[in-house]
Amino acid sequence: MTVSDEILVDVKDVKVHFPIKRGVIFDKTIGHVYAVDGVDLQIRKGETYGLVGESGCGKSTLGRAILNLEPPTSGSVEFDGIDIAALKGEELRHKRQDIQMVFQDPMGSLDPRQTVESLLLEGMKAHGLTKDEKQAATRLRDLLKAVGLPVAALKKYPHEFSGGQRQRIGIARALSVNPKLIVADEPVSALDVSVQAQVINLLEELQDEFGLTYLVVAHDLAVVRHISDRIGVMYLGAIAEEADAEDLYTKPLHPYTRALMSAVPVPDPLIEDRRERILLQGDLPSPANPPTGCRFHTRCPWRQDTKCDTERPQLRTLQIAGVPDSHRVACHWAEQIESGEVAMHTVKASLTSQTDHTSGGDDFLGPASVQEAL
Amino acid sequence: MTETIENTRTRGHSEEPLLSVRDLTVTFTRQGEKPFVAVDGVSFDVRPGQTVGLVGESGCGKSVTSLAIMGLLPQRGVRVEGEVLYGGTNLLTQSKEQMRDRRGRDLGMIFQDPLSSLNPVVPIGVQVTEVLERHKGLSRKAATPLAREMLDKVGIPDPNRRLKDYPHQLSGGMRQRALIAMALACAPKVLIADEPTTALDVTIQAQILALLKELVEDSGTALVMITHDLGVVAGLVDRINVLYAGRIVERGDRHPLFAQPRHPYTHGLLSSIPRLDGERGTKLTPIPGSVSDNLPWANACAFAPRCSQPIDVCVEKTPEFVEDGPRALRCHNPVEVSR
Repeated sequence: MTVSDEILVDVKDVKVHFPIKRGVIFDKTIGHVYAVDGVDLQIRKGETYGLVGESGCGKSTLGRAILNLEPPTSGSVEFDGIDIAALKGEELRHKRQDIQMVFQDPMGSLDPRQTVESLLLEGMKAHGLTKDEKQAATRLRDLLKAVGLPVAALKKYPHEFSGGQRQRIGIARALSVNPKLIVADEPVSALDVSVQAQVINLLEELQDEFGLTYLVVAHDLAVVRHISDRIGVMYLGAIAEEADAEDLYTKPLHPYTRALMSAVPVPDPLIEDRRERILLQGDLPSPANPPTGCRFHTRCPWRQDTKCDTERPQLRTLQIAGVPDSHRVACHWAEQIESGEVAMHTVKASLTSQTDHTSGGDDFLGPASVQEAL
Repeated sequence: MTETIENTRTRGHSEEPLLSVRDLTVTFTRQGEKPFVAVDGVSFDVRPGQTVGLVGESGCGKSVTSLAIMGLLPQRGVRVEGEVLYGGTNLLTQSKEQMRDRRGRDLGMIFQDPLSSLNPVVPIGVQVTEVLERHKGLSRKAATPLAREMLDKVGIPDPNRRLKDYPHQLSGGMRQRALIAMALACAPKVLIADEPTTALDVTIQAQILALLKELVEDSGTALVMITHDLGVVAGLVDRINVLYAGRIVERGDRHPLFAQPRHPYTHGLLSSIPRLDGERGTKLTPIPGSVSDNLPWANACAFAPRCSQPIDVCVEKTPEFVEDGPRALRCHNPVEVSR
């Protein structure tokens, strides 16, 4: 399916902050977890947008905020010109017909006491899509056929299926109400490797057949790169880099993307032997107490003395030859890093526990470019 | 880097195996139910300084193999047959007490989920010194500096403070490091790592894999790496055993195995995973069906129903495990070697 220029989802400066409460009788808010902290993104009709990042970066929360399953603290989510974040009650319920979700754990998201038929009919009934029984039966058959399950599956319960088949049921349920956008949160990470490919291929086929738009949230960069047209890399509640899948892979410009790419193992010993990794020191800082300035500066091997720890970088296009405008990076020094003016240096591992910032541990000096490393 | 690996391998070949698993069969028996054979005649050798991989999907018996080697399977309801030879002794016939002496001293193990394998109410330092107290007869006071040294060695910053921390105070990556420190405290000759990085993020995974590689190269520890991730073994393991439904279906040294997988299952696995450096827009070739479609090994090849190139004999006869030097294969109709 061809991607049109029409924007289906327009996320503007969305923030989702979870209060941290303490106290037995009176809840006192003592702080916030800044799960999503100012994200702008646009998803065009018919495209697959991949959100990738490590655990705790806020990618799932952002996905849920787009459905208003997690009401954003501030910002707006425009879907087809209507601000979903401002909708309430019946209006919101009605709008959700257009946006469906596929969850990570197919067993946990299917009611074990409902047959597949009843699971699939539930959403259709709620949105008044079952005019008469005959039409509903045809629709159910078509749905099962579309996701590659036998018609006999209708009378069965979720536990009678394998993991891959359950995920197919989850996808059929999402499809049952004719959505425009499907948000898939880690759709294949609970599945066995040999089955993952089946589900990935199915998602691609369905997109072609029904003209769907996807937002795929996943931690596996190889999977995301395979299915996405555009990719946003998240780090601690914000997008660090956004680009077309191919651009991001051939020319990662944000230090975090470079490190992430070099850390993904490739099932090929020839490449693995030649490859040099950018090993990041330490762990992800707590989103309850994110670092000032650029969120990545505590672990960044290209960190500079100015700007990095004081000024928060915004997503911007770069004036580098060969880098299209669709490629946006939130780094103060992206140009200089790319040209080699700013060299990589050693980062000392520091503890991520928020009470102290003692440092120590071993040093690491990595290669100058991911391109060489791969 | 390739050179060092080659060296290790040639050195490994000249030495006697440190750990030798012979025809290991693990059967789970439950009253009123058919016995289930989880591991079915698995044999492999591990030499000093060598890294051996057991690769397979969930339910292929890779974790049960490691638990059987460590003597950690429950006594009741499980039948373990075959031999696990370590320095001439069959570990399977050892008493509970004898095995307790060996675990941690001769054989170390790292588990997948560090939080559930660490004691939540005991500080990290005590958990590391415990191993030293038990096997080296040291007092806690004498063991503490050694424990600190271990934590430092596995890259835990500020080990002095961390000794007093409880597992919940550490991040996932640090917990896994603490677990590695515990496993290596008594310098065991064999280290079994069961999915050591599966619960971790990729950047942390890269740290842990680099650490394991370094420790193995420095100390000459033999490593048995159990994983489902072919990417993880590609950069780390000398020899790979691919398991399917409890049996080894293919074995080979790292380079030839990835370059020319002969078993349709290995071949299928490699072509079904999206690669970061792969061609975009090409369709993945999945392995059809799922593990539940398997046939019993008794009179067929278990993989036949999902195989891309089955022939008649595949559903009539169990394929033999044919060894050819370092390469071994259990298949009636292997994938042609492309030239």
